[in-house]
Amino acid sequence: MLKVENVSKQFPGVRALRSVSLEVNPGRVHALVGENGAGKSTLVKIISGAQPPDSGRIIFNGQVFEEYSPSYASAYGISVVYQRQQLVPMLSVAENILLGAQPRRTRFLIDRSATYRIAGDLLNRLRVKVDLRKRVAELTPALQQEIAIAKALYRQAKLIILDEPTAALGPKQIERLFELIRDLCSHGISILYISHHLEEIFRLADRITILRDGRLVTTQSTSDLTQSAVVNLMAGHDPQRVAEPAAIPAGMAEANSEVPMEALVAEEALLEIRGLTAGPVLRNVSLSVPPGQVVGLTGILGSGTHDIAQVLFGLMQPVSGEVLLEGTPFTARSPQEAIAQGVFLVPENPARDGVVAQLSIAQNISLVDLPSITRFGLLQLREEAQTAQKYVSVLRIAAPSIMREVSKLSGGNQQKVLLAKALQARARVLILEEPTQGVDVNAKEEIHRIVRELAATGKAVLVISTDIRDLLLFTDRMIVLREGQIVDDLSAEEADYTQVLNLTLGVGESE
Amino acid sequence: MSPEKGGNNQLEAKNRPAQKEPHRTADRLRIDWTTYGTTVVLVVGIIITAIFQPVFLTVSNIANVLSQIAVLGILTMAQTIVLISGGIDLSVGSNVALSGVTAGLLFLHGVPLWVDCFAALGCATAIGLINGLLVAQNRAHPFIITLGMLTLLEGIAELVTGGSPVNDMGALATILGGTIFFGIPTAVVLLFIIVVLTALFLARTPLGRTAYAIGGNEEASYLSGIPIKRTKVYIYTLAGVISGIAALTLSGILNAAEANIGTGLELQSIAAAVIGGTPLIGGRGGAWRSLQGVLLLGVVSNSLNLMSVGANYQNIALGVIVLIAVMVQKNR
Ligand SMILES: Nc1ncnc2c1ncn2[C@@H]1O[C@H](COP(=O)(O)OP(=O)(O)OP(=O)(O)O)[C@@H](O)[C@H]1O
Ligand SMILES: [Mg+2]
Repeated sequence: MLKVENVSKQFPGVRALRSVSLEVNPGRVHALVGENGAGKSTLVKIISGAQPPDSGRIIFNGQVFEEYSPSYASAYGISVVYQRQQLVPMLSVAENILLGAQPRRTRFLIDRSATYRIAGDLLNRLRVKVDLRKRVAELTPALQQEIAIAKALYRQAKLIILDEPTAALGPKQIERLFELIRDLCSHGISILYISHHLEEIFRLADRITILRDGRLVTTQSTSDLTQSAVVNLMAGHDPQRVAEPAAIPAGMAEANSEVPMEALVAEEALLEIRGLTAGPVLRNVSLSVPPGQVVGLTGILGSGTHDIAQVLFGLMQPVSGEVLLEGTPFTARSPQEAIAQGVFLVPENPARDGVVAQLSIAQNISLVDLPSITRFGLLQLREEAQTAQKYVSVLRIAAPSIMREVSKLSGGNQQKVLLAKALQARARVLILEEPTQGVDVNAKEEIHRIVRELAATGKAVLVISTDIRDLLLFTDRMIVLREGQIVDDLSAEEADYTQVLNLTLGVGESE
Repeated sequence: MSPEKGGNNQLEAKNRPAQKEPHRTADRLRIDWTTYGTTVVLVVGIIITAIFQPVFLTVSNIANVLSQIAVLGILTMAQTIVLISGGIDLSVGSNVALSGVTAGLLFLHGVPLWVDCFAALGCATAIGLINGLLVAQNRAHPFIITLGMLTLLEGIAELVTGGSPVNDMGALATILGGTIFFGIPTAVVLLFIIVVLTALFLARTPLGRTAYAIGGNEEASYLSGIPIKRTKVYIYTLAGVISGIAALTLSGILNAAEANIGTGLELQSIAAAVIGGTPLIGGRGGAWRSLQGVLLLGVVSNSLNLMSVGANYQNIALGVIVLIAVMVQKNR
């Protein structure tokens, strides 16, 4: 059905793809995996016509692509559902689904009732329940994704490419998506599925293609592979290489040196929240985090975990309750004030809220603490470069140079730049929202390690995530929120996945 | 500080043997034409003009071209800073007019020249400050805010001059309108200083860096702890100060001040910046790039003058140049 033949693509300084070939069969789920920067998204862009290859060709249903443009590819039945949507936020659900191909009453007039009828039928078929008239901006990421799939179907897509589709979804929504994918396959539609979550891939995919440094490593049936074999193939050697971690250099992670050592010994909380009520859902939440602890905060969308982060970072004002940092009251009306008091937040959507795409890696990292590299009013670019270089090696950010614009990095590496920024902020309390989203398996382990090491230097780390499995791997404690209240606070060693999942959903508590 | 020598590559070399090395030189030779588009057009323009009009390369003509672009060049630096921060300032031209008129009228009433100059600079700075406060406090786009300011300032300048120009700027004409060593026009030296300072400001000061940051991604900058509003106030104020310097320069060169003297300068400064490679969307660009745009405009109009092309044709030619230069940069 889809044949990729010897496709190569070069960017200045990076060979993103080198003679990659693969074949996707009708009605099958084909997974594409590889480390951050392996070239997955680049291949997707070529298949979907967003970028031309330097050499090689794409053959779809026997037709050789003569032109590389999104409209050409979609005319052949190839659709991409990106992780962050390409929907028009201010248009309604129905309008979005039919956009650009709406039924007409006359040549210039759109037939609105037909628009709604067709969209309604389509969503019924997919068993998606949503108000057709709602603006897309008001929908959850999960629903937006389903709308995007519906849009692809309306365009008679025969191949749907999903690039990290589960990154923004909770466990239940992921199950929904899987059902939908199986349903599509049974109708002969093929799926090219890209993800860093190997367990998802082993549940879904018939075949797996592994890329490394832009090269095709292998394509095999899922049944012939194991998760650890895939990890090894992705890394190109034994993953134990991570066993020689470059420790966070002294000084880099040191908090304000005035923090007395006793703070570490004493059981006094570094961060304490008392009776916090804020925003639409948070009601009377209390928690405390001693220095050196990594606390996972989880809950489904709208459970209030995000709001806690907003309050701590000065983005939302509490209605009542108080926050204490080392026993002293903390209030922040802006991120600037929060940072000044030693709190830093890594937001969950790096491209939108985290990095400045036009600035280089080095410039992004230093942005959070310009005064430290300023002497006599001038930025010390050499110092800036040295600092960046350190982070690039510690976090293994894959880039030809620290001068590279962040817009030219792969998604996972952008996430790492953000983490470097968090380290550079020298905060006492670090809040990480979905820190391992879009990050490859090995990098994930590195991030776990980095977070643990940071905590070991006496910081309090709050990790907010819907990825429960991931949280269990590196947190000390798990705090579960539901409908704006803490429903449980359990040690990560004792907790297991289903237990926490059920707590977030509020089901099967009696088990 | 060559980035290629950094630790990252040692790291990559360790983990991924024999990776990118063979392709390095090829990458380096690959020229990104979108970056050098303006430079190429500029150099080609100079060569062509020099071939057809040998007068072009004479010292006196070069001095002539440079002094003609001095005011626009200075003003373009103000515009560049604002554009990089994601804003736009349509009031720079009318700021030049009103500040120039301020100095002129005070001089006419016998106030000492140095006081007049400070008054003009003060006026220009105040206008920039007001722009900055309005832009920082309102959700309205700076385009419309500074457009309002433009109209307002023009009105005030008309009102205070009663429509008639001030035709004597005293010593300002001999200082800023004259030459310093070796017959180099003072205005050109001033332009050079302002460009160097602007380049330094943008590349090496924290405020310059934050201008790029908020122009690139305001939300991310806010979450990095950058005081967005204060930064904007500083940026527009700085643009005001530079406009004041342009005002004095223009008054000196013309030995006059007039209410409608700045009309069109705002659009020319935007065009020059964009042609040079400081895009309207913010987050990119620089002083030297913008200067290239100014030079290109100056060279083109000078060569058309030398070939005695009529004013209407000149406008058409300039319009075409603007469009070509911008299309060359499209794919960045
Ligand atoms: N527009 C671009 N300009 C320059 N280099 C680019 C550009 N887009 C991607 N690259 C580079 O190409 C390589 C492959 O990137 P790609 O986005 O395909 O990776 P990926 O496999 O999707 O990674 P991730 O898992 O992090 O999303 C990376 O080294 C990246 O830096
Ligand atoms: Mg990607």
